Amino acid sequence: MPEIFIDNKRFEYEEPGKVLQFMLDNGLDLPFFCYHPSLSIPANCRQCIVKAGMPVFDREKGTFEVDENGDRVIRFFPKLMTACSLDLADGMVIHTHHTDELVKQAQADNLEFILINHPLDCPICDQAGECPLQILTYKYGPEGSRFEHKKVHKPKAIQLGPRVILDAERCINCTRCVRFTDEVSKTHQLTIISRGDKNYPMTANGQTFDDPYSLNTVDICPVGALTSADFRFRARVWEMNQTPSVDITNGKGSSTWLWTRDNLVLRVTPRFNEAVNDHWMPDAGRLAYRKFNENRVSRPHLRPDDSEQVRTSWNNAQLTVLEEIEKVDADDILIIGSPHASVEDNYSLRAFFSSKGVSKFYFVPHVVPGSGDGFLISDDQAPNTNGVRALEFEEINDKKLIKLIETGKPKLIVILDDDLIGRTSLTMDHLKQSWTVVMATNHSETTRAANLVIPVTTAAEHTASYVNVDGRIQRTVPAKETLYTNRRLNLEMSMGRLDHYGTKFDNWVSDSNRVDCIPAWEFLVRLDADRDTPEWVSSRQILDEIADSHPAFTGVTYERMDDENGIQLKLEQVSEAKTV
Amino acid sequence: MAETYTFDAKDLAEIKKLIEKYPEKQAAVLPVLWYAQDKFGHSDPSVQKLVSETLDVPEAHIRGVVSFYTQYYEKPIGRNVLDVCTCLSCHVSGGYDMLHYLEERLGIKAGETTPDGEFSLQSVECLGACGYAPMLQVTNDKFVNHLTREKIDKLLEDLRAGKEPEFESNPMPQHQKES
Ligand code: SF4
Ligand code: FES
Repeated sequence: MPEIFIDNKRFEYEEPGKVLQFMLDNGLDLPFFCYHPSLSIPANCRQCIVKAGMPVFDREKGTFEVDENGDRVIRFFPKLMTACSLDLADGMVIHTHHTDELVKQAQADNLEFILINHPLDCPICDQAGECPLQILTYKYGPEGSRFEHKKVHKPKAIQLGPRVILDAERCINCTRCVRFTDEVSKTHQLTIISRGDKNYPMTANGQTFDDPYSLNTVDICPVGALTSADFRFRARVWEMNQTPSVDITNGKGSSTWLWTRDNLVLRVTPRFNEAVNDHWMPDAGRLAYRKFNENRVSRPHLRPDDSEQVRTSWNNAQLTVLEEIEKVDADDILIIGSPHASVEDNYSLRAFFSSKGVSKFYFVPHVVPGSGDGFLISDDQAPNTNGVRALEFEEINDKKLIKLIETGKPKLIVILDDDLIGRTSLTMDHLKQSWTVVMATNHSETTRAANLVIPVTTAAEHTASYVNVDGRIQRTVPAKETLYTNRRLNLEMSMGRLDHYGTKFDNWVSDSNRVDCIPAWEFLVRLDADRDTPEWVSSRQILDEIADSHPAFTGVTYERMDDENGIQLKLEQVSEAKTV
Repeated sequence: MAETYTFDAKDLAEIKKLIEKYPEKQAAVLPVLWYAQDKFGHSDPSVQKLVSETLDVPEAHIRGVVSFYTQYYEKPIGRNVLDVCTCLSCHVSGGYDMLHYLEERLGIKAGETTPDGEFSLQSVECLGACGYAPMLQVTNDKFVNHLTREKIDKLLEDLRAGKEPEFESNPMPQHQKES
């Protein structure tokens, strides 16, 4: 097998590749800025320089030349080489800053150059704390700067587009953002203008940076030059918790991180998942933070008679639902599952009402034909259409639903989290004749039409799985506490600095951001009051039950989803094409 | 407001020839911009847009190219453009003195155009004539070398009178010996 010697240590490699990526894969450290594994390699920052050489081969003898100690004679390249663009070669010898003073000095000098015109405004910069420039300067940089002159000034706080703001002084011209629009999103909206110490990224004259993937440039910018209009100045990164999750705004289900502070989701960023979204996600998915924080249904809302909805206790909500169920025949109950709700919630809905004798379960897919782009934005607007399908809910469109209501005249309608009135031709009048329960995360036109609204958890508050348009099942982890969960007790939740040290008596944390809601399955368990022991105590149990009973889900567990970044299910129908 | 610029059939034929010289269209950006600037006198955003559409190369890229080279004018500019080199060799030989003298004479700052539209002044980076520093270039064409105040006075006078500067031959020392 070909070999390479890095800092006098021997490594073997199989695939051809670049030295920097090989080092990163092997856990070795080397500073770099412009390189990104999913973009082309311009080698423009020069930070990854190493000393590289090849053994001298004696063609006549057919052997490597050796010195008097019997060691191979190495011929080094005359200049230091950029490791990011250097191909691995059999017998290659690499010296990094660990074994070569020149490399060490060169790295520090390069950083001194990069920092010459950098404003060093870390105390007010959003990137501080997660900034490669800050980290690498700390690790590899010079102690100070010898530059005593006035720094070059460039435009600041430029609104490049609706979601991205540029501070040109902080930019180190790595061109990652430009390459992203050229190579990944392919909108070609950015370029570097001017040259020398005056250059910075810009759009064409009069154009706005409205790329539907524009916020990815904020993630990959190695400094604070590009910041998110929404997240700017909202929190220091070290005060936040980071929780793995899934994009619930679209059928692709990009893997995400939810960043919370004091139980508010402040931003959503992509999480690397080779099988789904690589390092990227659509801007639209990042807006989900608003859905998690704002306009939430908190505490059950009941409409006595024809009046306004009023808040009521969970006890009363449970008893009222049970009463309504008792009152009617199973045939008079219409159950509508939801592609916006998880596999577990849909399953428990089905299980509970099956036990009450209901035999038909429906759902209305949420597909907007033509809205997808074939990349990370799908026509499907819901995260779990395939999951509901796999649970054998019958797929109907809104016209069929209206017909079911008009002809069947159901006395009780139960809608799992789905704003059917807001997004389809269903109207309030259609629901008027029946007693309607809506389990919802946010207030909507549909909840307004309901007789009883049960507040349920969002993907940011529960552990649950979703099956994306390609049939891949992925799961969420709770990021945000509800009134009934606690990160100190739920070991799956992460604890940030503020969660550890904040108290209600300082200004760091409060209870006001915790919503009075429970997972939909948990409400259904509570409805089953006759049982001595609850049917399920966790969504994990529900998933295990699904895995045992549904062949499509065989072998699916949360552990496997975590380890394998989601599991590809073998579904009969996984394409978007057949959706309504 | 911005005029609309177009290429006529003859231009397009010329541009086609330029494109054919290169394996990719993007490579033809420089010569086509050059062609457009010759025709329109500058490469302002509407010219950039036209070139972008003609070549089917992203407009942002064209802007990057135009703003990179001081030889492309990002906005309509004076009839004579004086590009005074202030890069290293010219700087140490008095490039800035020459620039400031010109600023004084023309009553404008570097980057500006005289109100009569006759002169624009730019401070530019190395033009590859370090041996004849300090120097300037007139409207992307003739070099005026070994600048002095007197030489500048004469140049301005000539240019006002519509007279192009003469080509100055500056042979390399080794060649000088032979002649
Ligand atoms: S804005 Fe950021 S990503 Fe773009 S070139 Fe500058 S440093 Fe690189
Ligand atoms: S990472 Fe190698 S030159 Fe920038």
